[in-house]
Amino acid sequence: MIDLSNSRILGKKKKKKTTTTYHFTRLSPTLMAPQLLSSRTFKSLFDSVDTFLFDCDGVIWKGETLIDGVSQTLDLIRSKGKNVVFVTNNSVKSRRQYAEKFRSLGLSSVTQDEIFSSSFAAAMYLKVNNFPKDKKVYVIGGEGVLEELQIAGFTGLGGPEDGEKKAQWKSNCLFEHDKSVGAVVVGLDPNINYYKLQYGTLCVRENPGCLFIATNRDAVGHMTDLQEWPGAGCMVAAMCGSTEREPIVVGKPSTFMMDFLLQKFGTDSSRMCMVGDRLDTDILFGQNAGCKTLLVLTGVTSESDLLEKGNKIEPDYYTRTVSDITKLMDSPSK
Amino acid sequence: MLMSRSVASAVSQVSSSTSSLLPNSKQLFSFKTLSGYRSSSFCGGSIRKVNHKPLQMTSSSMTPRAMASKQLENADQLIDSIETFIFDCDGVIWKGDKLIEGVPETLDMLRAKGKRLVFVTNNSTKSRKQYGKKFETLGLNVNEEEIFASSFAAAAYLQSINFPKDKKVYVIGEEGILKELELAGFQYLGGPDDGKKQIELKPGFLMEHEHDVGAVVVGFDRYFNYYKIQYGTLCIRENPGCLFIATNRDAVTHLTDAQEWAGGGSMVGALVGSTQREPLVVGKPSTFMMDYLADKFGIQKSQICMVGDRLDTDILFGQNGGCKTLLVLSGVTSISMLESPDNKIQPDFYTSKISDFLSPKAATV
Repeated sequence: MIDLSNSRILGKKKKKKTTTTYHFTRLSPTLMAPQLLSSRTFKSLFDSVDTFLFDCDGVIWKGETLIDGVSQTLDLIRSKGKNVVFVTNNSVKSRRQYAEKFRSLGLSSVTQDEIFSSSFAAAMYLKVNNFPKDKKVYVIGGEGVLEELQIAGFTGLGGPEDGEKKAQWKSNCLFEHDKSVGAVVVGLDPNINYYKLQYGTLCVRENPGCLFIATNRDAVGHMTDLQEWPGAGCMVAAMCGSTEREPIVVGKPSTFMMDFLLQKFGTDSSRMCMVGDRLDTDILFGQNAGCKTLLVLTGVTSESDLLEKGNKIEPDYYTRTVSDITKLMDSPSK
Repeated sequence: MLMSRSVASAVSQVSSSTSSLLPNSKQLFSFKTLSGYRSSSFCGGSIRKVNHKPLQMTSSSMTPRAMASKQLENADQLIDSIETFIFDCDGVIWKGDKLIEGVPETLDMLRAKGKRLVFVTNNSTKSRKQYGKKFETLGLNVNEEEIFASSFAAAAYLQSINFPKDKKVYVIGEEGILKELELAGFQYLGGPDDGKKQIELKPGFLMEHEHDVGAVVVGFDRYFNYYKIQYGTLCIRENPGCLFIATNRDAVTHLTDAQEWAGGGSMVGALVGSTQREPLVVGKPSTFMMDYLADKFGIQKSQICMVGDRLDTDILFGQNGGCKTLLVLSGVTSISMLESPDNKIQPDFYTSKISDFLSPKAATV
């Protein structure tokens, strides 16, 4: 029988990216295997960074459940004068909606402009590339994308309400689509259906110059606390299958968002540490951007996934959970 | 003047990527004609455009450059050299529910000349029996045994590997696949009914799945939804040894004659995205169906001509299988697409439609 035990391996499967992704060779004396965070290594990490970038799903929360000790850890990091920022590939919510989620979980110190969601990234991509305001954007994804597009001054179509629509396929019956759609943005969509796939496909294939943008390509994620669910990578791959085109990816591991972060802090990326649970998005993003990287094991990656031979993406450090930072901060370093 | 198509170049594309093969797929496939069977012919997955440009010769510097296709001028000569004609359906025999002009007379003529006719379609929505009815409704004399839809191919594949009857098959697809699985004696779950199932992503919710699902078959599915994607994903990722089979990966399909519709490639793409695994493809351009019918009818590949309207499925299928290829322009491919510098797939011949066989000299394209 076929051995599927390697089906969870991250970083092994080719990821089709149109933005350049590359593995920086660290200019450290030895290319070291990922180090388990200890009181000694933690101090050296903490002193060398000014800003911590946190992924959300699997790091801060799992579904709607806050991970233990996160709140105290974030407060502690801030109290030591470090900046804290959240970079999430989950495009279902807007930055404003994420701020509400943080608040509902007891993390009311987190403000909207500290959150960089891939929904925001998609709208910013169109903005920095001067997407014409008379063109529309078809969205296969959640409210978050539509809201960010609106804030940026763009007209969005589709989104969750197209989840109720059904295509008709009778002779002499044409499936219409808006010819003024100049971009299709695809993200996580638990309301995916044939209507949306067909609409998006027609726009990309038939509207001249239509952009195909993916918020991210995560294969699976912890949409609920108990198990993993198909991620945006699934919807994006469905669209690749029908359009025969590769998308522009704005979320991790693409470093598109890093420009906004650097602008915000006016600092070097080498003074930043990316904390995430996924090797082929969070850690690769950090490496591509020149940050330090810390993997936590509270999300999609286990220690055996990290250490197994086939894995090619190695964070600088790893630890079990974010709240280990609190323990290590207080313990004497040796 | 018939050209022998160099298969080496097509096969070099086929075997360029190993990621599309399931490890051990060679050992699993115990099909009779397997002596010398190249597992690379399952590379439906690898045939997919890696960079989403038209298929490229991977070792173009080493293999002979594909020769340009010739317009069919001497139909009789081609017909005389061929024993079996394999026809695609959409865009060759019919378009949507309308028969293409001259088809009945052409098929009758070929049969009168003693030729075997076979129909191979990637469309998995119907079973062979249902296709038989469609042919009948359109006034064509075609036997169910002459029809090979990718729905049938999926069931035939499972039979060929002795898929255990106590294991189940989860289907992301339509009626045709369910009917063929049932005929072959396999237990199945899913299909169109799962299109009605909703999920609510909330704390404490766990989606269960049957642990005795041993294969997930994915094809064109107009009732596609997140429930099915998750169910299929869980089976593939968590049931040890679970197979991931695709009926086909066509990007678009002519559901109605008026326009293109997102095809099976979309649904299969979704499962590839969530499982990060490549499927075993049983439909064109994988040669599974060609091998199956060559074995069934005892025919030589060199005596077969594949007639289709799509370069990256029909013609590539013929080339991979080592038979002659004839492109018709009555479907999705136009002459400018064939002659475009981006196109690397060159059939042996092309003509406007199959009824050109009826004229001694081909009609002007």
